[in-house]
Amino acid sequence: MEASTFPGRTSLIRTAAARLAALFAAIAVLLGACAPAPAIPAPATPAPVRGGTLVFALSQEPPFLLPGYTTQTAAGVILNTVFDGLTGIDPEGNYIAILAKQVPSLANGGVKMLAGGRMAVTYDLVDGVRWADGSPFTSADVKFTWELFMKDSRVVSREGYDLIESIDTPTPVQAVVNYRQLYAPFLTRFGAILPKAVLEKEADLTKAAFARLPMGTGPFKVTEFVAGDHVTVERNPQYRNKERPYLDRIIFRIVPSKDAAVAQLKAAEVDGVWSLTEAQVPDIEKNPAIRVLTAPSATVERIELNQAKPGDPADPRIRHPVLGDRAVRRALNLATPKQQIIDKLLFGRAKVGTSPIALGWASPKGLTQEAYDSALAAKVLDDAGWVKGADGIRSKGGVRASITITTTTDDRLREQVQQILVDEWRRIGVALSIKNMPSSVLLSNSWTGGDPRKRGNFDAVLYASTPQVDPHTTMSQRYTSSSIPTAANSGLGQNFTRFSNSEADAAINEAGLTADPTRRADLYAKALRLLNEDVAIIWLYDRQSIDAFRSNVGGVTGNAWLAATYNAADWWIKR
Amino acid sequence: MGAYVARRAAGAVPLLFLISVAIFAILRAVPGGPLAMYAGDPTVRDEDLARLERALGLDQPLPLQYLAWLVRFAVGDWGYSLASSQPVLGLVGERLPNTLLLMGTVYLVTLALAIPVAVVAATRQYSVLDHLITGATFAAYALPTFWLGLLLILTFGLQLGWLPLGGMTTPGGDGDLVDRLRHLVLPVVTLSLPGIAHYVRYLRASLLETIGQDYVRTARAKGLGEHAVLRGHALRNAAIPLVTLAALELPELFVGALVTEQIFGWPGMGRLFWDAATRADYPVLMSLLTVAAALIILANLVADLLYAAIDPRIRVGA
Repeated sequence: MEASTFPGRTSLIRTAAARLAALFAAIAVLLGACAPAPAIPAPATPAPVRGGTLVFALSQEPPFLLPGYTTQTAAGVILNTVFDGLTGIDPEGNYIAILAKQVPSLANGGVKMLAGGRMAVTYDLVDGVRWADGSPFTSADVKFTWELFMKDSRVVSREGYDLIESIDTPTPVQAVVNYRQLYAPFLTRFGAILPKAVLEKEADLTKAAFARLPMGTGPFKVTEFVAGDHVTVERNPQYRNKERPYLDRIIFRIVPSKDAAVAQLKAAEVDGVWSLTEAQVPDIEKNPAIRVLTAPSATVERIELNQAKPGDPADPRIRHPVLGDRAVRRALNLATPKQQIIDKLLFGRAKVGTSPIALGWASPKGLTQEAYDSALAAKVLDDAGWVKGADGIRSKGGVRASITITTTTDDRLREQVQQILVDEWRRIGVALSIKNMPSSVLLSNSWTGGDPRKRGNFDAVLYASTPQVDPHTTMSQRYTSSSIPTAANSGLGQNFTRFSNSEADAAINEAGLTADPTRRADLYAKALRLLNEDVAIIWLYDRQSIDAFRSNVGGVTGNAWLAATYNAADWWIKR
Repeated sequence: MGAYVARRAAGAVPLLFLISVAIFAILRAVPGGPLAMYAGDPTVRDEDLARLERALGLDQPLPLQYLAWLVRFAVGDWGYSLASSQPVLGLVGERLPNTLLLMGTVYLVTLALAIPVAVVAATRQYSVLDHLITGATFAAYALPTFWLGLLLILTFGLQLGWLPLGGMTTPGGDGDLVDRLRHLVLPVVTLSLPGIAHYVRYLRASLLETIGQDYVRTARAKGLGEHAVLRGHALRNAAIPLVTLAALELPELFVGALVTEQIFGWPGMGRLFWDAATRADYPVLMSLLTVAAALIILANLVADLLYAAIDPRIRVGA
């Protein structure tokens, strides 16, 4: 399970926990409130306690602890406690200022549009911030971080950073980032700032001692890295908020087996467990000494339907004999019992999906997909001329409604979903066969590596994907016609369904050149409405992230966009 | 004898070369690769992947990549992990002591318990005790370690609270000897039980065969005590297959235990291998697998030499 943690704080993380985030949302809806919700303490918990050690079980070991150099979610869990970004994301998906005094926008003058389509973003930095070694944090560190990311070939993604022309540092507390062109998701950049004075001497940062024992401006610094066993972070005495962190240290214990981690949690050998599966919840939520924290996440499980005739590679101009018909796609969606899947297989811990952007400022409001109605599905197919044969399977013009569905092997939940679909779709006269592949092939995203989604060599594919809090990359990579992978473009893009709509193209492209977030959200919503009208994708459910803590742990709120440790400074434990 | 060892060692070099070529070919034939972990990340674009591929040297022709590894490996440079940038030898250095501790203990415990149990079972063939032992060994042999490990964790760790559930030491503790021993118990039991069962089955059958031999009857007829007969005549001959078995399992001291290390969170070689395999960390995998192959060849040689040492009828190099 690897997902984006790049770059540190502003990235989205598939696995995060937030009971309060859900509470906030519920309360906001109930009150119709627009004022920011106050911090709500967990039910019946006493006041925060200072000091102590918290042990947190992580199922994966980070290769190293450098923001920008790894996308591993487990690394992000630790990095959250060590590094700060200029801006961050709150549980509702809004940008918040962290090392910057305010979130730059057109309205507050922090963002200026310049001649030739260029853009300048001014960050005024919080005064008096120090690195954990006591040296001052300045705008030079911001500039250094950008230079490092552009210079070091081991950095994972340079997206956005490669659009920066220069960074001016007129004063130690002001950094002006000059973008060559308008880059709408600029607030997702600079999610972690690295210390210039420590790192500028390093020839190969990934091999430096800092890679395992980093320090930053965050509430903790890494003091111990015992390979395969644990990583210890201790209170950063220089942390700018003198009231935080409450904890003296957090020990991230590597527990590869999630079943073993749950047993350790029950035995109080660990105080928290990161990233559990839905199937583990019924067992532990009965335990009064354990609190299960479920938070909505941005990960959306979906069935993508190929509109092109499968081939290796497929030619998007040739329609799929079965799925090329919108009536069939609509019927398949109508015959997909999403709520039943959630209730039976996920123990109710998910939400019916409606779009690829489940959460955040860009999440389209009021967008829906038709709910389960098997009878209507059959009628849609009847009306479209798909006639049932003697074996109960429909055909039209000599084409049998028989398709395959592919997902990742060794995923029990997805295999169970497939079984339900085989039954349900057969009832409306569509034969479904299963052909699964290892995730290293199916999700490799590699044209030469034979990812069938890229090659267009599939009928239906069941998997999950997670957009960033700024959905532009996802929208343009997945839903514009120019992102259909073909032999001609060497397989660039991830528009696997071969959905093609010029209105949607125009809306997405305009959004990428628009600075106003409200306008952008409207444009994305328009494109997604067109996508859903075409029934290109069946949105199954929005996955939740599940963490669990001993009930003597307080301050944990979770964040759909970041690992639960995003507010580790506020965590406390009563022994 | 020296000439024999030299001849075997010389034969091992081309064999190891062929093995390493095969490992390389198989690793590269597996779809995915070290960059596959970035596939789900919307910010990682094709141009980023192409740059990383160059930075990690994965864009070079495969034969060149293999030769580069071979040249370095031959002079003792195991290269750097693609995932963590740590030197592979350093990674092994961090994990090997933990694996030696775990597997070494398992090895000793297994032998120390298997031999007396097998002797008891063989000398009291078809007694109630023998049937109990036979039943227990079949059960232990059939238990999958992931299940047995979790069962032990839930029983002795969680329900009874006698022993820690995982890891090598108590988090935040000083990791003294008692603490380390307590953490060692459950993984050692998990790994020893099937091993003991395995050895008992072998040794019991082998002992029964020897006990029926003429020379054992002769020894008894000479008036030797049952104890001396067993130790001096029956067991010594019956132990020959056991020695082979035990010698052939020596490489496990290096390889570690894949499943048990996962369940108990034991930071050993098995997990290093597992993590490298899931990340397609070629330098780590190449070195670990080649060294494991070398150790297996070595263990075979050791088994042959021990065989000759124990059994005077066998002469090496003959």
